[in-house]
Amino acid sequence: MLFAVARGAVNGLPVLRVRGELDLSTVPLLAAYVDDALAPGPRSLVIDLTDTAFLDSSGARHLVHTAKRAAEAGTALQVVCPRGNVPVRLIIDLLELQRLVPVVESATLTDGEVGS
Amino acid sequence: MTQPTIPARRPPSPAPDPLRRTVDEEALARCAEEPIAVPGAIQPHGALLAVSESDLTVVVASANAAEALGTDPTGATLADLLTPAELDRLRAALAGDLAEAEPLRVAPGGAELDLVLSRSGGLLVTEWEPVAGAEQAGAAWHRRLPTVLQRLSAPTTLEGLTAVLAREVRALTGFDRVMVYRFDAEWNGEVVAEDRRDDLEPFLGLHYPAGDIPAQARALYATNWMRLIPDATYTPVPLEPPLVPGTGRPLDLSGVMLRSVSPVHLEYLANMGVTASMSVSLIDRGRLWGLISCHGYSGAHRPSHADRTAAEFLGRTASLLLHTTVGAAERDGVVAVAQREAELVAAIGRTPRTPAAALVDGDLTVLDLLPATGAAVRLDGRLHLLGSTPPAGRVAAVVPAVLRAGGATDRLTLTLPGFDDVADDASGVLAVEVGGGRGDYLAWFRPETPREVSWGGDPRTSKVTGGRLSPRWSFARWTETVRGTARPWREHEVGAARALAGHLGEAVLARAGEDDRLSAALQRTLLLDGLPEVPGVALGARYRPSEADVVGGDWYDLVPLPSGRLAVVLGDAAGHGLTAASVTAQLRHALRAALLRDEGPGAALAELNRLVAALLPGEMATAVVVQLDPATGELALASAGHLPAVHAGHGTARLVTDGRGPALGLLDVADYPQVTMRLDAGDRLLLYSDGLVERRDRPLPEGLEMVRAVVAGGAGGPQEVVDAVFTGLDPAGTDDVTVVGLALV
Repeated sequence: MLFAVARGAVNGLPVLRVRGELDLSTVPLLAAYVDDALAPGPRSLVIDLTDTAFLDSSGARHLVHTAKRAAEAGTALQVVCPRGNVPVRLIIDLLELQRLVPVVESATLTDGEVGS
Repeated sequence: MTQPTIPARRPPSPAPDPLRRTVDEEALARCAEEPIAVPGAIQPHGALLAVSESDLTVVVASANAAEALGTDPTGATLADLLTPAELDRLRAALAGDLAEAEPLRVAPGGAELDLVLSRSGGLLVTEWEPVAGAEQAGAAWHRRLPTVLQRLSAPTTLEGLTAVLAREVRALTGFDRVMVYRFDAEWNGEVVAEDRRDDLEPFLGLHYPAGDIPAQARALYATNWMRLIPDATYTPVPLEPPLVPGTGRPLDLSGVMLRSVSPVHLEYLANMGVTASMSVSLIDRGRLWGLISCHGYSGAHRPSHADRTAAEFLGRTASLLLHTTVGAAERDGVVAVAQREAELVAAIGRTPRTPAAALVDGDLTVLDLLPATGAAVRLDGRLHLLGSTPPAGRVAAVVPAVLRAGGATDRLTLTLPGFDDVADDASGVLAVEVGGGRGDYLAWFRPETPREVSWGGDPRTSKVTGGRLSPRWSFARWTETVRGTARPWREHEVGAARALAGHLGEAVLARAGEDDRLSAALQRTLLLDGLPEVPGVALGARYRPSEADVVGGDWYDLVPLPSGRLAVVLGDAAGHGLTAASVTAQLRHALRAALLRDEGPGAALAELNRLVAALLPGEMATAVVVQLDPATGELALASAGHLPAVHAGHGTARLVTDGRGPALGLLDVADYPQVTMRLDAGDRLLLYSDGLVERRDRPLPEGLEMVRAVVAGGAGGPQEVVDAVFTGLDPAGTDDVTVVGLALV
C-alpha cells in the first residue's frame, strides 16, 4: 500500500489519517504533516492509524516525539488505532504508548472535551 | 494607461525607417482600419489643411482653419496664405525628406505659427500650430543636452537608465508626472521608473493589463515616436469635407501631430484626472519595448515643438541603449548567481558532514542562490524551510510532483492539479533532486506575480481619491491576467540549481559511505567478540546486520554481577545509522553501570529510563533484562516495551508477558515491575529483537507465534535453538536481527 497522509476533520477537529507503512522511510512525510498541523497551536490533533499497515520503531519514536511536543504546546493529542489493526496495535501496546497519549478505537475528541 | 494619445509626427529618421520592416503587418493593417487613424477630426491647438501637392490647392480643411490662419482657406491655395519667401521655403522642404524637415515658422494672419508637413492619401498635409501658448524649456535646457546624453548612457542597469530618462523628460517638458512604462511578452505593462511632483501619489511598480493599450494603438506607437494631447478636455475640430473628394475616404491622420484621439481614451484620461498628456515610444530593435508617458494634472499643457523634439530624441537615444543596458544587467545577474553558487559549494566543502547546515544556517543560504522568496532543503529525509514557502506537509507533496513534471514551473496551479492552496507562495517552483536515491531535493519558490509586485507597497490597498477611477483599477485587472503565474525561471538559474544539487549529492554520498563505515565499526564494538564463559550457564547468540547497509540499533550484553548472578540484556534503539549506533553505545554502557548496582532488572531499567529522558531527549529504545542465579535457576525479568521473551520447558513454550513497563524514553519517570520465574534444568529462555519477527508480509502476532513454536520444538543447547529460530523465522533483511538464548547446564 502506498504511504499517504490525508488531512481531515472529525467533529470539526483536525485529523491526520496515516495510510500504508509508517517506517524509517515514511516518517519524514508524516513529520512534515505533523509540523504543519501543530504549527497554529490547535486545541487538539488526532493521528489516525486505522489504515496504517505497519509501524516500525522509527514510526513509534515519531509518535512519542509528537505526543511530547503536543503536550508542551497544550494540544490534546489522540492516537486512533482500533484493536482490529493487530500488527500496529500490538506494537503500540508493547511500547505502552497509551501511558503517554490516549490510544482509542475511534476518534472520540469533541470540541467540548478538548483539554479535559 | 496612455492610449493613443495624439497625433504624432512622422518619424524624423531617414526613410525607409528600419522599424517599418519589423512591425507586424497585420497589426498595422488592423490599425489602419481602426478609427484611431481616421477620426475625421483634429485637436484644436492647431489647424490642418490637406492640399494637392501639385498646385497647393486646399482639398480638406479643419473647421477652425479660418480663425487660426486669419483667412478662410476654402478654395484657396497655400500661395494665398504664405508670403513668397515662406512659399519658397515650403517648396524647398517638399523637395527633401519631410520627416527630417524642421517646422517652418510662418505668420499668415500676423501670429507666428509652426508649419509641419507630412503626406497622406496622395495629399500634402499641413499642420499649423501657434507658437504662442506653447511652453518652452528654454535654451538653458538645450545647452545641457550633452550632459543629459552623458547621464543617459552612464547607467549600467535598466533601473538607472529609465530613472534618468523619466527625470530628464520631465525637466524638459514640465509635465507633472513622467513614467517609463515597460511591456512584458504578453503586452502587460509595468511602471519601471517615475519622476513626479512631490505631492502626487506614486505609480511606480504598478502593472497594467495588455488591454489598456489596444493592439492597434501599439502598432501605431511602433511607427510613431510621439503623441501629444495638450488639453484632454478639448472639443474635436471636424475636417471638412469629411471624405476626401475623389477618393471618397476619410483622410488618414496616423502621421499627423494634431490627430484627434479616441473619445474612450479621453474619458480614461479624465477618470485619472489627467488634463494633458504626451507619450514617446521606446523601441528596442524594432519592437515596441515601452513608453515614456507624461501626465499633466493642472490644466492644458503644450510643450513647444522644439522641446517635444528633444523629448523624442531622448526616447530614441534611450531606445538604442536599452539592448546593451538590459544585456549588461542580465550578464551581471548571471555572474551573481554563479558566484553565489560557488560560495555555497565552498560552504558545503567546509562542513561536508553537515551539508544542510551549510545551506540553511550560514550568512549565505540556499535562498540567496537565485531570486526567489522561499526555499526548501530536504536532506537525510529532513526538511528545512527558508523564507516564504507553503507549509512543510505541502512542500513535501508539491516538490516531488514538480520533480516528476520536469523540475520547474512558473504556473504551478495551472500545470498540476491539487495545489490551489499553495498558489500564493509557490506559483513558481524550481526543484532539483539531490542524488543518493533518498528522495532528497532542493527547491525554490516564487509567489504568484501579483503578490510579489504588491510587496513594493500594495497598490490594491491605496486609496482612490476624489471618486475618480485610477490606474489602480487597471492594476486589479492586470492582477487577474497573471493569476496563478510567477516570474519565470531563467536558464542560468535552473543551471545553478542543478549544479548546486550535483555538488550536494556528491557530498552526501561521500558522507553516507563514511557514516556506514563509522557506524559499522561502532556497532562491532557493541557486540561481544565471544560469549563469556559463565559457570553453570549455557549461552547462545547470533547477530545479523541489516542488508540495507544501514546500521540498526540492536545490542546485547552479558554482565556478571557481584552477587554471582548473571545479567543478560537485549535492547534495540529506535532508528538507524550513525545516530542509532551512538545512542546504542550510550545505552549499553549506562545499563551496564545500572546493573552493576545489583538492584535487579526493574531498578536498572528505571535508572536507564531516567537517563534517556534526561540525556537523550527524543530518543526511544526498548530493552529486556534478565537476571539469572545459576545456582538456583531463579530468574528475574523486566522489559521496557520490548517484545516478549520466550520461556520453553517440558515440551512447551510461552511468551513472557509479565514484568513489563513502557519503552525507554517514553516517560520521564517510570517504574519497571519485574517478574520472577524459575529456569529449570532443560528450560530455555530466548530473547530477540524486532528484526527477527518484523516482516511486512507477515503480521507481528504470527511472527511471535512462530518464535514460540520453534523454541517449543527446538532441541539441543541454546545456540542450536538460536540457530533454529533464525532458520525458521527467515527474518527480512531490512533490519538487524539479534537473538540470545540461555539455559542452565
